Amino acid sequence: MVDLSVKIAGICLKNPVMVASGTFGFAREYSRMFDVNELGAVVTKGITLLPKEGNPPPRLFETPAGLLNSVGLENPGVEGFIRDEWPYLKNLQVPVIVNIAGETVEEYRRIAQRLSPLEGISALEVNISCPNVEKGGMAFSRHPDSAYEVVRAVKEQSPFPVIAKLSPNVSDIREIALAVEEAGADAVSLINTMLGMAVDVEKKRPVFKRVFAGLSGPAVKPIALRMVYEVYEAVKIPIIGMGGIFGWRDAVEFILAGASAVAVGSAIFSDPAAPLKIIRGLEDYATRNLKTRISDLVGLAHRNDAEF
Amino acid sequence: MHQAEIILNEKVAHSIYLLRLRANKVAESANPGQFLHVKCTKGPHPLLRRPFSIADVQRKKDTADIIYRVVGEGTSILSQKKPGEVLDLMGPLGRGFPLPLPGTLPLIVGGGVGVAPLLFLAKKLSKVAGLEGRAFLGFSSARETFGMEVFESYGFSVELATVDGTCGKMGFPTELLEDYLKSEKKVKAIVYACGPRMLLLKVKEIAASCGIPAYLSLEERMGCGIGACLGCAVKSAKGGYKKVCRDGPVFEAGEVEIW
Repeated sequence: MVDLSVKIAGICLKNPVMVASGTFGFAREYSRMFDVNELGAVVTKGITLLPKEGNPPPRLFETPAGLLNSVGLENPGVEGFIRDEWPYLKNLQVPVIVNIAGETVEEYRRIAQRLSPLEGISALEVNISCPNVEKGGMAFSRHPDSAYEVVRAVKEQSPFPVIAKLSPNVSDIREIALAVEEAGADAVSLINTMLGMAVDVEKKRPVFKRVFAGLSGPAVKPIALRMVYEVYEAVKIPIIGMGGIFGWRDAVEFILAGASAVAVGSAIFSDPAAPLKIIRGLEDYATRNLKTRISDLVGLAHRNDAEF
Repeated sequence: MHQAEIILNEKVAHSIYLLRLRANKVAESANPGQFLHVKCTKGPHPLLRRPFSIADVQRKKDTADIIYRVVGEGTSILSQKKPGEVLDLMGPLGRGFPLPLPGTLPLIVGGGVGVAPLLFLAKKLSKVAGLEGRAFLGFSSARETFGMEVFESYGFSVELATVDGTCGKMGFPTELLEDYLKSEKKVKAIVYACGPRMLLLKVKEIAASCGIPAYLSLEERMGCGIGACLGCAVKSAKGGYKKVCRDGPVFEAGEVEIW
C-alpha cells in the first residue's frame, strides 16, 4: 500500500491531486459526473470583492496542444460566493481552497477579511497572476515588492494558510517566489497561464478583444516544469505544480521536479475523469518504484549525479 | 461520460456527415436542442471536445445521431472514424427547445449544418397531435443540402433557399420566413431557428417585428460543456453573460444579444 497523503501549507490532503482554479467552477458542476470527494483538494474559481461579469466573447481559442482563455475572472463576488456556493462547498469531504483576486491590495485584504469567519476553508489561494483583467491580477505577480505586499496583506487578515499563485510571465520567477515566502506565504502555486495571442486571419485582427490571453495545456508544460524545478531550489515552502498535466506521467514529472502536490486544469475539459485517473496512476507508479509514501518522490530529480 | 460505439459515419452532402452512435442513455433522455460533447481523439490534441447538436434518436434501437460539417481539425478527425470504433461523449447536455402551446404553428428556420437539431425537433413536434409546421431551409449551394425529405416525412412543408440559387430560391431562408409571415399576417406561430449568426440575428428581428416568440440555438466554442469554465459566453439582454452550454444552447430570442 502506498501512502498517497501529503501535507502542504498545513493542510492534509489524502492524495496530491487537486484541480486548478477556474477549470472546476465551484465543484458542484462536476459533482454530477464523478465523486469530487476523491480529489486531493478542490480549488474554486477566483473570487473578487464585487461580482465581475468577465470578458466579452470569444473567451476560448484552441492552439496546438493548448488552450488560450480570456474569461476575465467572471464570478459572483465574495457575497454571492458565500450565499450561493459556500453552502455546497462546506459540506465536501475534501479540503476546499478558495482562490481570491483583486484590483488593489485593499481589495485582497477585504476579501480575506470577509472570508475569515467561514469555518471549513482550508486555505486561500491568492491569485496575483490572472493575465485577463485590466487592473490588478498579473501585475502584482510581476514585481517582488507588489507580490510581497498582497501576500502580506492577506496573511495579516486570514486565519487560513495562504498559497500564492504566481505568473510565469516574468524574467525570474524565483525572485517572486522568494518575496511571497518572505511575506509569509505557506505555499506557492506554479504556474498561472502564459501570456499568448491568436490572430483571426479572415477578420485580420486579434481573436480576443483584449488581444492577449492566457495559454494553458500541454503546450506550457515544459515551461511550468522548469519553473517548479527552479523555485524548488530557491524556496523552502512547498510547491503546488500545474501547467498541462494530462496524465500520471506529467504529474510524476512535476513531483520529481519539486512539487509536493499538483493541480489538473485544462485536462478536465478533455476528460473530466483525468484527475481520478492521475491519482490511480500515481499510486501504481509509486508501487512500481517501491516507495511507501508519495511524498518520498518530491524533488528527486534534484539529486547530484552520484546519487542517481 | 460514456463510451459510444459508432454504427455509421457517412457523408450526406458536401462536407456534411451523419454519425450514428449506440448510446442508450442519450436515446432515452435527449430532448431536441440538446447537444453531445464529443472527444475526437484519445490524446490531448486537439485539446477540447466538440459540441454537436443531436439530430435524432431512436429509442428502440438505442441510437443517437449527430450531423456535422467538416470545418477544422476535430471534425476532420471525426470524419475518418469507422463503424465499430468507440467515441467518448458527454451528454445530452444543455437546454433544448420548448414545445409550442396548443394551436401554435411551428415555423422552423435552418441554415447549413444548423438544420441538424431542427430535424430532431420536427420529429418531436410531429408527435404532438394537430401540428403541421413549416420549414424554411437555407444552404450555400445545392450540393450541401440535406434533410428536406425528413421534414416532409414529419408532415412539414418545406421551402428551400440557396445562396447561389442552385436549388430553391436564390437567397436566404429568412427571406422565405419573411414572405410567409407577410402573406399569413394573423397566424399564431412560434419560430425555431439554428444556423449562422446572421441568420439568427435576422430571425430575431423578424419575430420581434411580427410579435411572435422565437427560440434560437446558438453556437460557441466550448470548454467544459457544463457551465464550469465560463468559456462559451453570450451577452445577456439583462447584462452580464449567459453560458451557451448551460443556459442554452437554445435561448428565447429576447434573452440574448446577438451581434
